[in-house]
Amino acid sequence: MPSASTLPGVRRIAGIVLAVLLLGGVVVAVVAGREEQDTGTATKTVRMVIGSEKAEFFADPDVVKALAAKGYTVKAETSGSWAMEGLDLKGYDVAFPSSQAPAAELAKKYGVKQTLTRPFYSPLVVVAHRNAAEVLAANGLATLDEHRGTLKMDAYLDAARDDRTWQQLRGAEKYGELTGTLYIASTDPETSNSGALYLAAASYVAAGGRVVASDADVARTAPLMRKLIGVQGAQQSSTDAAFRDFVSGAGNPLVLVYESQVAALLGDGQSPGDLVVLYPDTTVNSDHTVVPLTENGRALGELLGSDPRLRELAVRHGFRPQGAGTEFASAGADRGTYLNQRLSGVRQAPVPTSAVLHELARRARG
Amino acid sequence: MTRGTRPRRRTAALALAFASVAVLLTACTAEEQTPGDPGKPVQTPGDPGEPVPGTLRVLASSELADMTTVWAQVERETGIKVRPTYTGTLDAVDLLAEGRAKGKFDALWLSSNDYLRLRPEAARQIVSETPVMSSPVAIGVKPGTVRELGWKPDDVTWSDIDEAVTGGKLTYGMTDPSRSNSGFSTLISVASGLSGAQSALTDADVEKATPKLKEFFKGQQLTSGSSGWLAQAYDRRGDVDALLNYESVLKARKDLTVIRPRDGVVTADYPLSSLASTGQEVRDDVRRLTEALRTPTIQRLITDSTMRRPVVASVAPAAGLDSGRRRELPFPGSRSVADGLLDAYDNELRRPSRTVYVLDTSGSMKGDRLDRLKTALTELTSEFRDREEVTLMPFGSEVKSVRTHVVRPEDPRAGLDGIRADTRRLSASGDTAIYTSLQEAYERLGAVDRDTFTSVVLMTDGENTAGAGPEDFDGFYARLTGHQRDIPVFPILFGDSDRAELEHIADLTGGRLFDARRGSLDGAFEEIRGYQ
Repeated sequence: MPSASTLPGVRRIAGIVLAVLLLGGVVVAVVAGREEQDTGTATKTVRMVIGSEKAEFFADPDVVKALAAKGYTVKAETSGSWAMEGLDLKGYDVAFPSSQAPAAELAKKYGVKQTLTRPFYSPLVVVAHRNAAEVLAANGLATLDEHRGTLKMDAYLDAARDDRTWQQLRGAEKYGELTGTLYIASTDPETSNSGALYLAAASYVAAGGRVVASDADVARTAPLMRKLIGVQGAQQSSTDAAFRDFVSGAGNPLVLVYESQVAALLGDGQSPGDLVVLYPDTTVNSDHTVVPLTENGRALGELLGSDPRLRELAVRHGFRPQGAGTEFASAGADRGTYLNQRLSGVRQAPVPTSAVLHELARRARG
Repeated sequence: MTRGTRPRRRTAALALAFASVAVLLTACTAEEQTPGDPGKPVQTPGDPGEPVPGTLRVLASSELADMTTVWAQVERETGIKVRPTYTGTLDAVDLLAEGRAKGKFDALWLSSNDYLRLRPEAARQIVSETPVMSSPVAIGVKPGTVRELGWKPDDVTWSDIDEAVTGGKLTYGMTDPSRSNSGFSTLISVASGLSGAQSALTDADVEKATPKLKEFFKGQQLTSGSSGWLAQAYDRRGDVDALLNYESVLKARKDLTVIRPRDGVVTADYPLSSLASTGQEVRDDVRRLTEALRTPTIQRLITDSTMRRPVVASVAPAAGLDSGRRRELPFPGSRSVADGLLDAYDNELRRPSRTVYVLDTSGSMKGDRLDRLKTALTELTSEFRDREEVTLMPFGSEVKSVRTHVVRPEDPRAGLDGIRADTRRLSASGDTAIYTSLQEAYERLGAVDRDTFTSVVLMTDGENTAGAGPEDFDGFYARLTGHQRDIPVFPILFGDSDRAELEHIADLTGGRLFDARRGSLDGAFEEIRGYQ
């Protein structure tokens, strides 16, 4: 495990980044619970700071109702998951970042000893249009099964290492849009969770199935990470914007998003067009992890994971509830042909520590 | 352009001095001016006004001026009114980065946030952003020219366009990349397309492509600070073959064959962005506005009325928008590349400008007005580009002096110092001989050099009181031959000048009127840069 002394300056840099983010006023109140909600029971107000991808979930009137039925009024403010570390969370009951690494940091900072609950999660996936997916499959970079498939990360990283272009892939010449360097568009790893998790997965594969931990590991993987990010030019700041561009037909042929975004789109009954969902054979889950700061917060965290109605609503928003439940797989038959319900053939890469990940991101952005 | 973002040889101090006036100069409120409507004068500066509940003061790209129908519909549905203040992307990013949007604007709505993301201090001011519609850069070519070139619109690449331009078979107009997002995106598209870069542009790519880009930009016959005036100038000239702009702008004309180059484009995705400096209620209104804009009904209205592409999968693009995909050319990932490209465009790639400043220094300018003119001109010197030819022609009862300076790349300071020295020497006396002086400006410019953007700026604070009259000038202009008639006059309303008189001059010569009466003279000079 690296420490501040093995990675000099990393903590300090992360600290500066966070301080600056905070000065910019990253924390935003977006979702106010309905305090006036008439529930007939005395309600406990729970103040949370959450990752922005969960804002729609907590704003959903059905979620507000389900929480009220259990005696809770939630007031949620959004913040970048990595920015929560720099917040003063006095007066908050829960911090709810979108992955484990920042949650672990927060638990350490606030002396939270208990096991952190992870009510729901969502794996990172790559969305592609059919043309692009078929060309990848024809060239051994992916396997396809109707509207979904598997992206072979080893092969993809080899292609990136060699600066492979679409023109060099068989069958790409049929499609005018498939030219230029082959790459997955991600969000900015320095500021956005999904971009950072992309580096976590890619560095794990690049290091031969090991978590990048030491200075030497970072030095070895950094050049490839630099390539993955550098070719992209300006990056979107949120997966939300990246996914919307993709749906509108603009942007790169391959875009990294959360599975929950695709599932929510399918769940809305919106036409997905010729969308293909590629599951990287090694990916990282966005583990929405509750860091309880008070007793009320702890109880709410448990409720989110155990209450059948809240689990059902999480599924509606595209999240996978923890545990052996079948809710995700059984939600909407049409989703089935796009989603890999059981995540078969998908390996989970462990995420490096915050310090290592920050350093990888910094070097990748160069 | 924004001094703050890419001071070229300009000092940081100068850059800062200018930054403070940057945005307001280009900002114009919708009620007063519509950039898409070239008939109206440009007001500088604009002021977004006081906050009004239910009204969102939006700092917006000028390309959004065609959205009024959509905004009216959204207002009927949600009660939320959009009050736009139009500006160039670079100026907007400066304003945000310097924290000057606080209290003035409730939301930001640019054609694209790509450039903004390269400036972390500006990006931090954005809380959330949601793309609302999209339009790629394209080239609109006269159908006759397409036939002569033997082009199949679906197969045309940037190299084909380049070949036609360098072969002398294609000329075009585009907006100024520093003033207008469409010009900026066009520049990125062209540079990416012609450099052969396979991924995001680097400094090395730009350097490698410079000779080729130089040739390409020789074909640029028209420049403009806004898409609206560009279209007007294009119609007036008649001998320009094509326009480079967003697909939506070109499609709206209906008389051009619109080609999205096969090897890639830069797409504007119009993200409506909420600001960290605003309160929860405002952000909630922005969220409601965003949601309303993304409903299928409004998305259909957007695509049908503006020819932009919808961003929800359930709405098909308007008839006439071809659905074939294009590669998205990545936007540069660093400010040094983006700024370097803009810099190269201004100082090396584009045709240099050649301008005569016809400056009223009659008796009525004495005192404060003359001081303001001197300040404005002095500040303007930081804006002049390499290779630019600047002639100062102060007048009273007659032209007092004619002094020409060239900003030479090997020693730009000498030219700029000359302009500043001449500015200091200006003194106010005599009557106001507007038309006689204008005629001398045309004579001075003589035969037009096709390798420059040639224009006249006329600043006057009163009516014509000496020398030739308006009819004389009409006759003089009618007798001009050939390309001399392509020289536009950009008059500036200032002090007690006669609006009808100046409007007539702008209309006659194909120029555009700028209004500095309520704003600053610096602002007007600055705004005109986009047209020179």
